[in-house]
Amino acid sequence: MSDHCRDALDRLYAYLDRELDTETVTEISVHLEECPPCGGAFAFEERLMVVIRSGLREEIPPAVVDRLRAAIRSEIL
Amino acid sequence: MNPGPTHYECVALPLSYSGGGVTGKHNPPLSTPRPGPLPAPLPFPAVADQADFEADAMQYAPQLYTAAMRMARNPTDAEDLVQETFLKAYRAYDSFTEGTNLKAWLYRILTNTYINKYRKDRRRPTESELGDLEDLYLYKRIGSAETADSSRSAEDRVLDGLVESDIKQAVEALPENFRVPVLLADLEGFAYKEIAEILDIPIGTVMSRLHRGRKALQASLAEFARHRGLLPDPDPEDE
Repeated sequence: MSDHCRDALDRLYAYLDRELDTETVTEISVHLEECPPCGGAFAFEERLMVVIRSGLREEIPPAVVDRLRAAIRSEIL
Repeated sequence: MNPGPTHYECVALPLSYSGGGVTGKHNPPLSTPRPGPLPAPLPFPAVADQADFEADAMQYAPQLYTAAMRMARNPTDAEDLVQETFLKAYRAYDSFTEGTNLKAWLYRILTNTYINKYRKDRRRPTESELGDLEDLYLYKRIGSAETADSSRSAEDRVLDGLVESDIKQAVEALPENFRVPVLLADLEGFAYKEIAEILDIPIGTVMSRLHRGRKALQASLAEFARHRGLLPDPDPEDE
């Protein structure tokens, strides 16, 4: 693992969370294209985040919404 | 600022207060003679109107309910949590600064309510109690499970094979002080700065909790993947 790999990996989440400045993003993106192991790892982590996000979804039952509105309105009165 | 605000008062503070603040440069020093009478104070920052609360805030109810379900871990407590959040927000709504981040403000109330209500009898694990997990935990398990040629399909198998209940359980198993930042980032996509404001912790702490929380989450997901036969059992010396 090169220093570039280490640098990229250190910023894995900041990169995926879009918390980096454009310059750093470009630097990492270039490395990911040049380095298949890092590219593969980042791609996997990105897909995993999507899987986690969609797995956490929860429908709010309509009855819960109704009771919530009722609670707010009874507070207003 | 009042000294020693209670938790509840904290909740009512606007997030990212940026409108109309006293910056100094708009306020001449007291010694400067003012021409004529003082101008009438500007009606700024605009505070929110309680009458608009329902119209403004209800759009966030589905999202808050999702987060509340993963926090409280059952529908009854989740509903209580959301309802309490909205009632507190309603009562404090005239302290909310219009034009600032209503969604983040609601999450701040939700999070504080959850922590105050449900943490009492639970001790908080320290960071080290999550263990020292390696980066790319799940990815590396897959890497060692297959030869390089077929690793692509092994990744797909794991990502497609994990079901919703695995993910929900894995997240719910995280200690609260890791679970909440992970929810705010992974579920809601809040920026680190917003999470820091919602939880009242420094950005560095947000980043380290997210990092450690996500690693622990991956270790837990790897367990589920093994259960489903998506990953081989670990080598004894590996764990």
